[in-house]
Amino acid sequence: MSAPTEPPVLRHPLVRLAQVAVRHPVVVPVGAVVIAVLIGAVIIAAAGLDPLTAYAAVLSGAFDPDTLDYTVSVWAFICGMALVAAIPLRMGEFNLGGNGQLVLGGLAAAVVAGQSGLPPLLAVPVAILAAAVLAGAFGAISAPLATRFGIPIIISTLLLSPVAVAVVSYLLRFQIGEKGAAVAQTDRFPESARMWALGDLSYTNVGLIIVILLMVAYWLVDSRTAVGFELRVVGANRRFGAYGGVRVGRLALGAMAASGAVAGIVGAIITLSAPYRLTDGALLSPGYTFAGLAAALLAGGRPALVPVTAVLFTVLQVGGAAMERSADVPRQLSDVLQGVVIVVLALRTVVDNRRSGEKGAR
Amino acid sequence: MTLTASSSPAVELSGISKRFGAVVANDGVDLVLRRGSVHAVMGENGAGKSTLMSILFGLVTPDSGQIRVDGSPVTFSSPLDAIAAGLGMVHQHFRLFESMTVAANVVFGAEPRRLGLVDRRAAEARVRELGERYGLEIDPRARVSQLSVGERQRVEILKALHRDATILILDEPTAVLTPGEVSSLFAVIRRAADSGTTVVLVTHKINEVLSVSDEVTVLRDGRVTGRFATGDTSGAELVHAMTGRDVLEVSNQGDVTPGATVLRVRDAVVSEGGVERVGNVSFDVHAGEIVGIAGVSGNGQHEVVEAILGTRSLARGSVELQGADVTGWSVRDRRAHGVAVIPEDRRGEGSAITMTIAENLTLGHHRDAPIGASRGLRRGWISLRAQRARARELIEQFDIRTPSGQHTAGSLSGGNAQKVVIARELSHGAPLLVAEQPTQGVDVGAIEAIHGRLLDYRTAGGAVLLVSHEISELLALADRVLVMLSGEIVAELSRAEATSASIGAAMSGAGGGAGAAATTATAATATTTTTTPATGVPR
Repeated sequence: MSAPTEPPVLRHPLVRLAQVAVRHPVVVPVGAVVIAVLIGAVIIAAAGLDPLTAYAAVLSGAFDPDTLDYTVSVWAFICGMALVAAIPLRMGEFNLGGNGQLVLGGLAAAVVAGQSGLPPLLAVPVAILAAAVLAGAFGAISAPLATRFGIPIIISTLLLSPVAVAVVSYLLRFQIGEKGAAVAQTDRFPESARMWALGDLSYTNVGLIIVILLMVAYWLVDSRTAVGFELRVVGANRRFGAYGGVRVGRLALGAMAASGAVAGIVGAIITLSAPYRLTDGALLSPGYTFAGLAAALLAGGRPALVPVTAVLFTVLQVGGAAMERSADVPRQLSDVLQGVVIVVLALRTVVDNRRSGEKGAR
Repeated sequence: MTLTASSSPAVELSGISKRFGAVVANDGVDLVLRRGSVHAVMGENGAGKSTLMSILFGLVTPDSGQIRVDGSPVTFSSPLDAIAAGLGMVHQHFRLFESMTVAANVVFGAEPRRLGLVDRRAAEARVRELGERYGLEIDPRARVSQLSVGERQRVEILKALHRDATILILDEPTAVLTPGEVSSLFAVIRRAADSGTTVVLVTHKINEVLSVSDEVTVLRDGRVTGRFATGDTSGAELVHAMTGRDVLEVSNQGDVTPGATVLRVRDAVVSEGGVERVGNVSFDVHAGEIVGIAGVSGNGQHEVVEAILGTRSLARGSVELQGADVTGWSVRDRRAHGVAVIPEDRRGEGSAITMTIAENLTLGHHRDAPIGASRGLRRGWISLRAQRARARELIEQFDIRTPSGQHTAGSLSGGNAQKVVIARELSHGAPLLVAEQPTQGVDVGAIEAIHGRLLDYRTAGGAVLLVSHEISELLALADRVLVMLSGEIVAELSRAEATSASIGAAMSGAGGGAGAAATTATAATATTTTTTPATGVPR
């Protein structure tokens, strides 16, 4: 064997290093964020403002000690909605119906809280349970639609969602809403049916604990159970799963039901928190569903990463509002940044597919 | 060839090294290709053949080393550079536009033009001219989608020749061909070499190397372990260089008496889009026997396997497993009742390349002890410790070459990836094992090991259904051979009746049992081309 005496530089070492680095799994999500931030900076600069000031405002706004309580509550909701997207994502399916499931959860919680007259210890758990059941059932509809009729889950969830939103909106306006109010909303719930407080915090309440428990449960199921293993197998290669005896249809049913149920629980928590009423559109306007979806995509559905990526979108969400106030940059910029992150991630998927296609089928 | 100025090597690779993460694919490889010769590059799976060829063709950048073409150093940053330097590569998996004509595919990217438009006539004339020169006759107007695999390969070769390739790399060209197609491919290779083209033949089939090549370079574990002039070497010597040991032929001694019926297929019909892929197939497999299914691929064998596993439902007929009618059962229930399958498509169906080797070894075992549990408090949970332990055990037992079970299955070479599938399926200890092309694309050493395991499985009382395109494999292993043609079983041959000639004749539809080997090869080619009436006949 002759050792190469004069190793010829076939390509610049930096280029090669870059090629190797690009393949590392962490690089892509981080890269997506960096690219998004850079594009955001260009947009801010193009608007004649200083990107550094704007980003500083985002960070200081999000981590302002006086409003950290609020930031944490937003983080919990985004984590919850990230879970909604992450569960089906793990098996390669997209639940784009988070909005519909969220408002159905809010509706169920509002009906139980406002009309049942249950005693204090029961009202909140029952309301949350009802929300999980209704939203879970609604989410689950998409699974048989896919298995029996071949309608992709991504399509049916997307199209069913506005139906649920419209129905809830109708009910709030004409059936269960407060009589004579200018805004379509329910009466305030009795004291007995309000989310339990956590110390003397005004925004964060026991809902945070519930979301954290849900995330721990997802992590456990994903890494330590047969069902979680099957989810990952199907997500990695559907045919391999079917060949190995995974009942893909049932798995999809379970995943969609769980996903919908989590959305319902998040809807219930938001509804039962201050101002203790269900207002038309209030669950959707903060955009938790989309932020959660982006966080889940960025985390690749991995349970350990979801809370981390959720921090990023919480900062954008909360800090975006602060930025608008102090740096005069419209908060829509945070939506732009979320969008760019998703586009970059989608590009990754396309590139991956192309690369694996080139390697040949077997 | 005499030592004139023009007899400098066509290509010279020196000191080529390449590593992928922890795996060293090439380690200081030297390769010299003499102009106008057929040079075989041999090696087991994972020996580094494909990487070396990818480097030569500009698909992969080496970590170090040098490439010289016609004596001058070159750097290929993409296949386009390699093509410009006179290289052409025919990949194992073809890259053709199925809906376009042969001529359009051949000239794609280097079209003859007239008035700025593609000159279709010139393109067709070019295909005819090249075809005549190299013996690659094919109808330039036929659509690729109508061509057989062998004909598609011709199109790929023509593509390279059209671009004036003087160095032609053929990656495992015979893996997909019938015996008749193989011999005509060899004639083409010879003709090309005689007219001055340098041909590189990547293969692990010894008889092919001996029959067509002039020189051989053998790789093992990324290093060159032998260089031979074909005339001066023997099969045994090549095997030794490839594996570092002499291969003992494993074969069925026919010493086990079949027991109870394990699999009973009755009047099975599989249709797809109104077309019957399998028509009225009936057969039994007993404990302690290996039943082979022979046939040119695409004659319904794969559909039969799917119907047995349950990934495809029967239009009519039944499948019985150990006395129970499992026709309407799910895959999971059938597996639990006692069937394991080594599938043909190991990347697409037999594994998840993005998951770890340990996880790949777990699927199907994840609800049973020790990794899972079928009852009690631990039901539904998975023990990661047991999963790791089991992976270590199987990696050791099946000699899977990997740094650890936590690497992805996609990081393994073809042969090792196949070992993962086989390890997982054999360790079920299921009464019925269906093995579909278990040694496809697997090197000599691994073939021997796999054959040994299938025989052991049978000796231990297992029923084995072996689907294979390799007649030699069926002859070595099967107690009985069923031959499938156009979705039907056209012959059943006992061990005594089964010969290369009788199986070949039945495969080609020349009548069960009779027919000489020579007519077999021709007939087999005829069979595969019946679907392409337009081919070879100018319209």
